[in-house]
Amino acid sequence: MSQFSSSFSAEFDDINQEIVLSGRIRPSSPSEMAGVLDVIRRSLNSNGNVIYLNIKRVTHLNMTAFRCLEQVLTETCKTKTQRNIIVVASSVIAWSAPLFQTLASIQPNLSVEIYDSAFYPGQTFVEDESFIPILRTQTKMTWRHEREILPRHGMRNGLSIADICCGIGDFATLIKRQFEPARLVALDHSKRSLDYARRVAAEFGLTSIEYTYGDAAQMLLADNQFDFVTCRHSLQIFDRPDILLRELFRICKPGGRVYITNEKNSHCLGEPHSESIRWTYEQVAKLFSHFDMDVEMGPKSRRLLNDAGFDDIKVESFMVTNLDGDPRDFADVIEAWEDVYAGQMAVRRGDPPDFIRRFRQGFKDHVLAALHPKGYAGWPIWAASGRKPY
Amino acid sequence: MTGPYASPNPETFQDMAALALDVSLFTSEFRLCDTISEYLADIVAQSHEDPSRYANFSSLLINEIVELAFRSAKPVGNIDFNLLRGDACVRVCVGFTPDRTDLLRWQNLDRSARREEYHPDHDLLVLAEAIKVNVQAETDADDRVILTADFMLQEGA
Repeated sequence: MSQFSSSFSAEFDDINQEIVLSGRIRPSSPSEMAGVLDVIRRSLNSNGNVIYLNIKRVTHLNMTAFRCLEQVLTETCKTKTQRNIIVVASSVIAWSAPLFQTLASIQPNLSVEIYDSAFYPGQTFVEDESFIPILRTQTKMTWRHEREILPRHGMRNGLSIADICCGIGDFATLIKRQFEPARLVALDHSKRSLDYARRVAAEFGLTSIEYTYGDAAQMLLADNQFDFVTCRHSLQIFDRPDILLRELFRICKPGGRVYITNEKNSHCLGEPHSESIRWTYEQVAKLFSHFDMDVEMGPKSRRLLNDAGFDDIKVESFMVTNLDGDPRDFADVIEAWEDVYAGQMAVRRGDPPDFIRRFRQGFKDHVLAALHPKGYAGWPIWAASGRKPY
Repeated sequence: MTGPYASPNPETFQDMAALALDVSLFTSEFRLCDTISEYLADIVAQSHEDPSRYANFSSLLINEIVELAFRSAKPVGNIDFNLLRGDACVRVCVGFTPDRTDLLRWQNLDRSARREEYHPDHDLLVLAEAIKVNVQAETDADDRVILTADFMLQEGA
């Protein structure tokens, strides 16, 4: 059951008993809401004690629409007193919970829940503050390559740039210093990461980066705003990368470019102990897959960009190695991966101790390869970009 | 995003931006309400810590004010949009001449009367109260309605 208009839609997911309302809902009259209200009304009448009204992705609403929703919800609350309606609002949209709370204060069987974490499956694994130094080290290692790669993908001084899923904002600060953009917006779904990013930017005296808290799958940024949109190492931890790419496409100006980086973890390599290392990283890919993430995405970038509607697609790969700068940096990153992948994710998947022991050994061998005077350790990354057609 | 009601001293406000439109042009297309609201909200939010998110927040109420003007304005003369910056907030003012039949209701400053559903700014007040933004409606000497909303510069301020 679903209803779409040009700017908003309602769909009912009967497995989760969830009505998903999304879009920009500013009708001029209630009649424009008729189709959507019909879906909501019929969904509210379905079986089940609890029905969720998911408004996480309603970015705009007017009171004409709100009154229509209020009427339907109130009718149901009064006629089905045993039915609980839970309105699920996003913390990104600051007005939604307070507005719907006005209904909850009147109707005892209606409540509002605020959804503000786990936007993406991988979020909880990397939000720990102890992970921040590793993220910085990773960016330092990749930046050596990307500062040369980015101009080949259209990056130049003076552009209007958005860094989506900016994390702790270190890439944005490097972009700011290297390419002096006319405007730089950095968006992430982690308030803690953004707080850190703002602190770091302030310490560097970088005052004009616009940090914004948001859901990359439904951004509050307007259409066709940016010359260059970056999204690094993030599509691969989305369960629906197509949705994110659609948003990146939307905010990019016609003729502008979207630049993405992704990994192919099973191709991480090292010598000596190449077999142990290879086995472990093949398991990493399977582990992420278990949590609906695809860390094998790198070589799929061309197809993903093509499917999202981009043209003039460019793809290149580079290998971060222990020979880029201090090998200890490389080793620190691998040790952090071991902590998260073997110490947290494999445990959460329920892997037996023997597996985890062997799994950890591959990371230890990778560290050894990185620090060995004759060793070599690598981490392959795919950088790709596409142009939004005019 | 929201905070307690504030009523800053008007003398501390400085002009930020002003826009005047012919009412007949403004009321020719409902979609203009959305366009104007987004434009004003972007300016309101430009010095906020999180401009994109605050623009989204403020556009909710600004849009309601603009839609109210769209529905209430007499189709002659101009509608004015003014943005003023104070020490603690950005003030949005929208001025228009209402239909004569509605003028008496606009001139009734009794807040409880305005909470009655028939009052033209009933929904605006409900919304403003829900999201904790200070709004005011008043009529001037020329019988124009001036709708005002104050958006705080700091989150939680």
